[in-house]
Amino acid sequence: MVDMKDQTPILEIEDLNISFFTRAGEIPAVMDFSCKVMPGEAMGLVGESGCGKSTVALGVMRYLGGNGAIVGGKIKFKGRDMAEMSEEELQSVRGSEIAMIYQEPMASLNPAMKIGQQLMEVPMIHSGVGKKEAYAMALDVVTSVRLPDPERILKSYPHQLSGGQQQRIVIAMALMAKPSLLILDEPTTALDVTVEAGIVQLVKELGKKYGTSMLFISHNLGLILETCDRICVMYSGEAVETGTIGDVFDEMRHPYTQALFRSIPLPGADKNLRPLVAIPGNFPLPHERPPGCNFGPRCDYFVAGRCDAQDIKMATIGKNERHNSRCLRIEEIDWNAKVVASATGRKAEIGDVVLKVDNLKKYYEVAANALFGGGESRVVKANETVSFETREAETLAIVGESGCGKSTLAKVLMGLETATSGKVLMGNLEIQGTAIQDRGAATVSKIQMVFQNPFDTLNPSHLVGKQIIRALEKFNIGNSDADREERMLKLLDLVKLPRAFAKRMPRQLSGGQKQRVGIARAFAGNPKIVVADEPVSALDVSVQAAVTDLLMEIQRDNKTTMLFISHDLSIVRYLSDRIMVMYLGHVVEQGPTDAVFAPPYHPYTEALLSAVPIADTSIEKKHVVLEGDIPSAVNPPPGCPFQTRCRWKSRVPGNRCETEVPVMKEIAPENWSKCHLDDAVLAEMEPVITQRNTAPKAKAKPNEPVALAQMATSNRAKPRKPVDAKAGTTSKAAAKAMMAAPLEKAKLKASATKSPVVKAATDGRPTAIRKPAKPDDLKMIAGVGPKLEGVLNGLGIYQFSQIASWKKAEREWVDGYLKFKGRIERDEWQKQAKALAKGGEAEYIKVFGKKPR
Amino acid sequence: MMENVGAFGIITGFASSFWPVWLCLAAVFVVIYFFKKQLGIFGRLFNSNVGILGVILCLFWVFTAIFADVIAPLDPRVQVSIMQNAVPGSINPDTGMVFLFGGDLLARDVFSRVVYGARIVLTIAPAATMIAFLVGITLGLPAGYFGGRIDSILSFFANLVLAFPVILLFYLLVTPGIMETWLPYALGGGLFVFPTLFFFVLFYTRFYGRNDKLVPYLAATVIAGGWIWMNLMSTSTFIAKLNDAGLTWIGSLLNWRIFNIFGVDPNELNIFIAVVFASAPGVFRIVRGLTLDIQTRDYVAAAQTRGETPWYIMLWELLPNARGPLIVDACLRIGYTTILLGTLGFFGLGMGPESPDWGTTIKDGSQVAQLRLYYWQGVAPALALMSLVLGLNLLADALREESLRD
Repeated sequence: MVDMKDQTPILEIEDLNISFFTRAGEIPAVMDFSCKVMPGEAMGLVGESGCGKSTVALGVMRYLGGNGAIVGGKIKFKGRDMAEMSEEELQSVRGSEIAMIYQEPMASLNPAMKIGQQLMEVPMIHSGVGKKEAYAMALDVVTSVRLPDPERILKSYPHQLSGGQQQRIVIAMALMAKPSLLILDEPTTALDVTVEAGIVQLVKELGKKYGTSMLFISHNLGLILETCDRICVMYSGEAVETGTIGDVFDEMRHPYTQALFRSIPLPGADKNLRPLVAIPGNFPLPHERPPGCNFGPRCDYFVAGRCDAQDIKMATIGKNERHNSRCLRIEEIDWNAKVVASATGRKAEIGDVVLKVDNLKKYYEVAANALFGGGESRVVKANETVSFETREAETLAIVGESGCGKSTLAKVLMGLETATSGKVLMGNLEIQGTAIQDRGAATVSKIQMVFQNPFDTLNPSHLVGKQIIRALEKFNIGNSDADREERMLKLLDLVKLPRAFAKRMPRQLSGGQKQRVGIARAFAGNPKIVVADEPVSALDVSVQAAVTDLLMEIQRDNKTTMLFISHDLSIVRYLSDRIMVMYLGHVVEQGPTDAVFAPPYHPYTEALLSAVPIADTSIEKKHVVLEGDIPSAVNPPPGCPFQTRCRWKSRVPGNRCETEVPVMKEIAPENWSKCHLDDAVLAEMEPVITQRNTAPKAKAKPNEPVALAQMATSNRAKPRKPVDAKAGTTSKAAAKAMMAAPLEKAKLKASATKSPVVKAATDGRPTAIRKPAKPDDLKMIAGVGPKLEGVLNGLGIYQFSQIASWKKAEREWVDGYLKFKGRIERDEWQKQAKALAKGGEAEYIKVFGKKPR
Repeated sequence: MMENVGAFGIITGFASSFWPVWLCLAAVFVVIYFFKKQLGIFGRLFNSNVGILGVILCLFWVFTAIFADVIAPLDPRVQVSIMQNAVPGSINPDTGMVFLFGGDLLARDVFSRVVYGARIVLTIAPAATMIAFLVGITLGLPAGYFGGRIDSILSFFANLVLAFPVILLFYLLVTPGIMETWLPYALGGGLFVFPTLFFFVLFYTRFYGRNDKLVPYLAATVIAGGWIWMNLMSTSTFIAKLNDAGLTWIGSLLNWRIFNIFGVDPNELNIFIAVVFASAPGVFRIVRGLTLDIQTRDYVAAAQTRGETPWYIMLWELLPNARGPLIVDACLRIGYTTILLGTLGFFGLGMGPESPDWGTTIKDGSQVAQLRLYYWQGVAPALALMSLVLGLNLLADALREESLRD
């Protein structure tokens, strides 16, 4: 960034007020909003739905529709007040100087015009160039948004392109006029994560290349972190905090910003140790805003009589002129105070296998014409050889992008579709071929579903209570109407909704409340298995946390097995025990959460991990951007389904990837992957997400969970200070290492061979030795796999005798380091090691009566 | 030359004849003024001028139909020979009665005919529309919901009916030759079963497994539905046909008093069948389209995953959420049916030659030798028809507008 002082801002908004005029009177949508966007700067506008962020964008474009109006303030574009511009001037500014990109790419493109024509129109209208020149420009810009085969693309219609390609075209169209300001309104929300990653990178690069200023609107903090220089957090029509990314992410000075960060899951947070801290209450409706601070009723630091006494103005923070917050108590609040987690749940004991899916296949036949027959029928291969099992009280996350077959899998489990082949065993009951209408009420109630869209999950025509009662009736629960009524009210209690809601219509409920009713309905029949299909992805961030926690709490209490379908890896990391990654109908990787998040990865998992935006400045991510789009399930590529986009393909000798479907193989204990890569290549993989080794800050990061502190205190007897093998780090990094143990472990593993540091044992850390010429095969100890062996080697542990000689403190240290307790004890590592150290395999057989692994 | 009350006299005469209508309209407006908030969308109709005008026009004709006996000074069939082709506003020299809209070729009071015509139009049009809707819904829901072969077959037949020229279809249905066959009765008998079928399935799916409620509801449906069916079908021509065919026991059954509480005239029955038959495919297509749309919602999937039967989902989960567009369409469709009835009357199809329905009256009026001289005979019923259809269209527009606004 260049020196800002001497430049005129591209966009300067001063005290903007926008209102909508409806039947209910004037509704202020944006109040007292100010911001500045400098040339070449990217400004992020973040907030929940209904906070007015899109209204600001439309206000800038002066395009507020029939019932909206700017009622106060100024919008200056390049120093000129836009209110003084004539309609013609505005028209030329829109499109040529300010371009806007919307969420739905298909809605921004004219479906009846070819892409080329639409692109050429822009320069032909705005700069009056000829047809030929316009075509050349179009070709050029399509190339610069990195679309394959630009000439063919120019000749196609919008519907012939995929969502990602369409959005690239929309971006290209916006860039055609070489605007000085680009407004992006949730440009990637409708797209898959890996496609999103590509678009985000593109936007970033183009911003640099053309020097365009950007106003990036999103609800996703991670995305803002990746794309923007500055951020403005909005709440209920007001900007509550603005500043640089660093200021706001690391030194937030508004309670809402803080609460927002605390309510989003970060990779590294474990569900039972650090529950998300939800923001209490609901977003105020525009005509029901409280007096004084809008966030007041939901704020932990609220002081009656002060916060609700007057309108609160933006104030600068300390000497930093460009960091502002709308809070009266900036100076009083202890911003570094630890988060108090509401309740630390214990983990439910995982029980027996409840659901077993074996080699499940689901093909759809799409016939051309139903009445007269004929035409060729095509086969959609939605699920191919899906096998997995889940246990009681376990959460299995099914992760994948749209079209990967995860919803089809859910449908087959629910009985909405029947399997083409393979087996689904629920308990001892085979249900793969039984459609829902042939299942008994008992079976149906045992497996239930929570749906994605809260606005769709309840029938808008029936009372909330009636809908729950209907589920009870269907499941033959309750003897009389009165009994069912009572049970319904109890279910409302269960999902923490007031009983009065039974008599409400769904439209009177907020999104989160509707989703709670959906959960109550699913749990009406006391199900063994609940399939949750992206239950929180459509909810606002602050509500997401509350609903997620509720779902997990009910699950814990009822020992329900949950199949959590999602594309959001952060939340999956937070709540699942095991993860199953799907791609194009195949399960490509499956294993315990920590193992899936640590290398070695399946190449697709790697890309997926790298694509997920993380709202944490201390995280460093490796960028793996996938080329192209997901192939169609009608015509999947031969061999490995992922081969068309895989960046590791060249590392597999021959053309096995293109000819052979890989088989599942264990790449780490219990972690299975469907890939041809051999162990040596897998071992080279580096972790995608790593903790940045920043200089320690005196104060803890506000979003650092208190769970960490709890862990530390509860383990005070055995202070743990793992010394990073790579660089001597501080206690903070060490603590982080524990949080992100598997990641760190992996890093250790990667560097272990390079720097076999020998260090004296401190604080219970076992003594390390230099790598001997002939290290023992630690994998012979039951409970140690290749991955753990790597980690142990990273600690400088190479010999059985070392393990055999561990003292209690050392054992506990290793326990803590490996982040699972009891396995060393349970598997009697030391006993095994002793035997192996003493007499090798023969002694082992003598002691344990069986061969070591 | 007869005495005439003049333009002013006609207007005051017109206004005063409709006193029960004004009274009822006033009452309705007072009620709505006080309960506007509770009436939901119907209350909100009164926020727009279009809505108010629509409601006034529609209610005007509804109340006219109800109070036709009070409003009309004469029976629509009575001929007062002296008043043949009388100018509007003429006074009958014998009785001193004013013929507000003049007299027609057969010396009948045009005003009385228009007023009584409202009664015929406003019974047949809404009733036929309602039955067309029940038929369309009962067939459209499964077509949209199940898709596949069922959809293809039903849609094919719907298209077939829609593709057939409507007037020709009516001609065929109401020509004496066809009327003598079984076809109209088979069609009518079939179509009139749909309401009963609809409500039977509606209650069956809702209360299945709960016999305490299921039995009474179903019994009531079957009895009421059967009774209405018998009443509709107990026309003299049908009974005669049955007797001819040797099915005297059915004939005598239909002749029972309880099945002749209300009946329709054989001509009206044919019109009725024709109208239902012609408009049901349109409804079918709308319902099918709505079903395809609503079917993708999560609450439908939720119902499926708790094991609901398809018909429960269609009738209790889908249909209530399609009500908005269906209500709007019903308003428009009553308007179309009104026009259709007019057209039929105009062609002299269906209704008896003496019938005061607007279509027949327009036809009579337009067949006067010197139409230019006696224009009022055709214009008065045409204006009536126009205002009713206009009212229905405005009402539909306002409903649509209000349901989209927030």
